[in-house]
Amino acid sequence: MLRNLKFAFNSAWQSFWRNLAVSLAAVLSITLILILAGINLLVGHAFSQVLDGFRDKVSEISINVSDDTPLPNVYDFQQQLAADPRVTSVKFVTKDEALTQFKSDPQNGVLAQQIDGNPLDAKLDVHVKNLGDVAAIDAKARQWSGVDPTDPTNYQGDFVNRMLQLSQWLGLAGAALLVILLIVSVVIVMNTIRTAVYHRRKEIEVMKLVGATEWFVRGPFVIEGIMTGLVAAAIALALLVISYEPVVARFKSDVGFIPLSYDPAFISSLATDLLLAGALLGALGSYIGVRRYVRI
Amino acid sequence: MVLTPDFATRPVISFQHVFKTYPTGTEALRDVNLEVPEGDFLFLVGPSGAGKSTLVRLLIREEKPSKGKIFVDGIELGRMKRRRLPHYRRKVGLVFQDFKLLPNLTVYENVAFAMRVLGDPDHEIQARVAEALDTVSLSGKEHTYPANLSGGEQQRVAIARALAHAPRFIIADEPTGNLDPATAWEIMQLFLRINARGATVVMATHNREIVDLLRRRVIAIDAGQIARDDRSGRYHEDVAKPQVRVQ
Repeated sequence: MLRNLKFAFNSAWQSFWRNLAVSLAAVLSITLILILAGINLLVGHAFSQVLDGFRDKVSEISINVSDDTPLPNVYDFQQQLAADPRVTSVKFVTKDEALTQFKSDPQNGVLAQQIDGNPLDAKLDVHVKNLGDVAAIDAKARQWSGVDPTDPTNYQGDFVNRMLQLSQWLGLAGAALLVILLIVSVVIVMNTIRTAVYHRRKEIEVMKLVGATEWFVRGPFVIEGIMTGLVAAAIALALLVISYEPVVARFKSDVGFIPLSYDPAFISSLATDLLLAGALLGALGSYIGVRRYVRI
Repeated sequence: MVLTPDFATRPVISFQHVFKTYPTGTEALRDVNLEVPEGDFLFLVGPSGAGKSTLVRLLIREEKPSKGKIFVDGIELGRMKRRRLPHYRRKVGLVFQDFKLLPNLTVYENVAFAMRVLGDPDHEIQARVAEALDTVSLSGKEHTYPANLSGGEQQRVAIARALAHAPRFIIADEPTGNLDPATAWEIMQLFLRINARGATVVMATHNREIVDLLRRRVIAIDAGQIARDDRSGRYHEDVAKPQVRVQ
């Protein structure tokens, strides 16, 4: 077994270098596909970061408290909300705190100077666990007697629903793109490896005639495929890592309103994904590509 | 010493009412019955397209019979499972007209290849390859590539490879087809030596001189049927001399 494995590794290594032109063609094809897959993952990750940011914002709902509501009533409702399993946290913001917050926001600069007195309501800032539960908390708040009837909450149902839909569609589109890339890449790798196998069909014929098992014949090709995939993944990863930060910086300066960010922590997960995908693609492509010739 | 086939012993190769029809509709073999005892040396002769190569391909199980049974060493080839096939082929040494050597491997590596496939240890491979190359008189050419050898030398490498795993059967398909008469005769001497050591040899050939000179068992195939099975035969039917009919 160990001897066969050693033979398979030696044979794969020799074959990779002997048929360098074909090996490089395979490496190039897989590299291109993995770059596309990597871009897909990076864009997906960036969008999910942006979405997480939005989600964080819209999963917080402010309940405006009517000026004549007694403080014990407010505390009582705050406790009710805090006990709700759908709620992460509830914070009571007094009228004065609300005004300070309003004034400290640079966007409200001019307006804050014109304010006379304090027209703002005290509020309960509620952070909800799941975006889908915000509507229920909003409904609960509107039924509470202490709520300001003219402007009960800042909940924007349509916006939240659209956000939820957008996030679902983006997830689906990303997954579909990955599946398409996977299928295309397996076909390309399979055909490239088949060309490599075609060059070595005589060797395979001799192997079979002297009594090699199917796996003995197939082993070196599968190992060669894994090697090819790993080399391609390493190249794709290097190119993506080098260009990741400058591209994000450029994007930020050109399209400032989308808060895209550079996330170095994601690189290790990208590396694992690409190396694993490269090895799997190489192995699968070789396995299928060599089938026709190996079958005794 | 040359072993004379003992027809009284159990046959190691047996064809029982074997038919082979290819998917194209070509009837390559029709009702072939044949028994080969251990240690036999037989020539398969006949015109091109008669069915010799089909018989060889059935023997190495590259093809299955359409009807009938083929037994080799007690195993029915038609019913043998695919995963058992490599084990069967290890018992057989194959020699072809076009040598089937790997051009990017040296003489040594080509012969060692058959043993590497079996997972034999290096020291055993070294000893057996040296022995096989000595048998075919190619010691000293271990590091030469096939392209730098003559046709006869290349065929001797192929024979050494077939011998490396000490097979009980040698099946040769036109082994002298690409060689000049003197080299062909050298190669035949080799096959005789291998047969003398006890291996059963089945050889398809067009080489009339060699068949007539050696006077071994001759099976003539014509239009997919055995036309003649002579114990000590010639390439063409010898009407002057009475033949021993085996069938």
